[in-house]
Amino acid sequence: MIKQLKTLAVVAVATLTANIYAADKPNAEEGKKLYEANNCGSCHALDKKVVGPALRGVNNRRSEEWLIKWIRNNEAFRKSGDADANKLYEEYGKAAMNVFENLTPDQVRHILEYIKTAPAPVKAKGPTENVDGASKNDDGSNLYILLTLIGIFIVVLFILSKVRNTLRRLAAERSGEILDSKGGAIRGLLPEKLSNMNPTVLTVFIFFIVLIVGSTWGYKFGITEVGVQKGYAPKQPIAYSHKLHAGELKIDCKYCHIGVEVSKSATIPSLNICMNCHKGVQKASTAEGDGISPEIAKIYKALDYSPDSANYTKAFGPNAKPIRWVRIHNLPDHAYFNHSQHVKVGKLACQTCHGPIEKMEVVQQWSSLQMGWCIDCHRTAGIDAANNNYYAALHEKAAKDLKDNKNRSKYFTPDGSVKITPAMNGGLECAKCHY
Amino acid sequence: MKLLMKKVLYISSLLIAVGIMATGCVSRGNNTGWEYAPDMAYSKGYEPYNQGDSNVINPYGMSMREPVSGTVAIGKNNHYPFDNSGDGYEQAKGYEMPADMEDKENRGQYLFNIYCTPCHGEKGLNDGEIFKRGLGKPAWANFQDKYIREIPVGQIYHTLTYGKGNMGSHAYALNPADRWKVIKYVKQLSGAGVETKTTKDSAEVKSAKR
Repeated sequence: MIKQLKTLAVVAVATLTANIYAADKPNAEEGKKLYEANNCGSCHALDKKVVGPALRGVNNRRSEEWLIKWIRNNEAFRKSGDADANKLYEEYGKAAMNVFENLTPDQVRHILEYIKTAPAPVKAKGPTENVDGASKNDDGSNLYILLTLIGIFIVVLFILSKVRNTLRRLAAERSGEILDSKGGAIRGLLPEKLSNMNPTVLTVFIFFIVLIVGSTWGYKFGITEVGVQKGYAPKQPIAYSHKLHAGELKIDCKYCHIGVEVSKSATIPSLNICMNCHKGVQKASTAEGDGISPEIAKIYKALDYSPDSANYTKAFGPNAKPIRWVRIHNLPDHAYFNHSQHVKVGKLACQTCHGPIEKMEVVQQWSSLQMGWCIDCHRTAGIDAANNNYYAALHEKAAKDLKDNKNRSKYFTPDGSVKITPAMNGGLECAKCHY
Repeated sequence: MKLLMKKVLYISSLLIAVGIMATGCVSRGNNTGWEYAPDMAYSKGYEPYNQGDSNVINPYGMSMREPVSGTVAIGKNNHYPFDNSGDGYEQAKGYEMPADMEDKENRGQYLFNIYCTPCHGEKGLNDGEIFKRGLGKPAWANFQDKYIREIPVGQIYHTLTYGKGNMGSHAYALNPADRWKVIKYVKQLSGAGVETKTTKDSAEVKSAKR
């Protein structure tokens, strides 16, 4: 009974004419609540065009009656033949506003009152203006200046000591003294026993020590560092944070890297993917001020997109230009790698090779990408043969072998366990990767 | 005194030489480090992500080019006939799902969990991490809303293809068949009763995630 009464009341409120409620003063606070509850803010902002027009001053642009009709059911209103309504619809690329018939005229008045009285934004000052490369000076150039200075200092020191020696020798010659020729540069550094040795023997001795130490170090350097770019973390043209997007926002890797399951490359996302969110998200939710984040502004600049004249059917301007991201993982040309094979077939998580990407503010190469690293995994990683439609015949045979206790040595992995590995599927054959 | 000075001189120059070596040829930060045989490492042929201006013909030195307009990719020949406009959205009301659209492997759910959950949440409650921060929520509450239950599938297809409001186009990742599978799952979430076979759930879906 009470429920019915309530329904009745709601119907009554909805159908009562505006005159009665005009007496009730529109309440901005109530309006704000309604504005938020109905997510008006997802398509409108007070001071700029988003999906729909900027709302400030709408009370002056249109009559209240017009606005109530438009907001509650713009579709019916347009069909009733209102010229202004249809013009507005055309102007916004015929992107219709949602229908809000659940709002009573009175509630719409509350919202309008909120729009009328909402405080103007405080202009953000300072850093948001700076769009083009705010920090250019942190690329280690200070280190080079320091090294150069030290170098100059040493050369000066060296020359001065030479000059000093020459002067002393000249002075000694003039006075008829003979200088002790012992105690050359290297000898000075050695203990007395060594420095008294035969110079030839000493030279050979030192030469061999240097040779052994140097070649050991050089060998280690050669196999672990040359051509191995583990730890390479270049500065990208946009300071995109995987920590924020993949970590905190939990966006799946495949949302942006769409090729990872179907092609060789995981693909570097094109900017339209950024714009799926960043048409609406123009600054970090934690950032202060009202401006556009400088990093997001770089996306807009590259797309020649103007956030002030947003138009959802045409996002990009005529001077759009791709962003030149810096490639991090650079497998040499003579080795073949395919992402889909590992992600779709092998069901590997991205983090297996790329490390904790979701925690990286700046992405760095996590794995060495050396051949030994590939081979290790191919020898030890188990294949989920039961739930794998690929290599079905091979897996069937392997399962049978294991069951019948045949060819067991083939399935032994270096760690001693018995399982089906990529190596068994031909994962160690040279021509699988080098051709 | 002289000896001491010389010692300092030699040790410091040695340290600096080692320092320069250590910073100059090891890959850290912006530095790729030393490389052997770069002409073996870098492809002369055009690879998708060749770095630099290796290609003198294409704009911006890129290997990839946009396809000629009007190109139809393999598997995408079921062309969507309507414009990206309000009129197109109206016309999409009558656009029907192909009768033979089957989703045997729960692919709709799998794709939904990648491409929809960041905003709409796993159960379609509009509680994804991006919406949680109050950014760009739609006017309807969640996928159980009357709006989603009653919206024609053609219009969801239009929205996935072109985007609507704050939502961008997802045609970049979802081919037509995938779009229909996602729509099936969306309708299933809304409780509108599109029949979808429940198959072995999610062990596979979860392990393949990320």
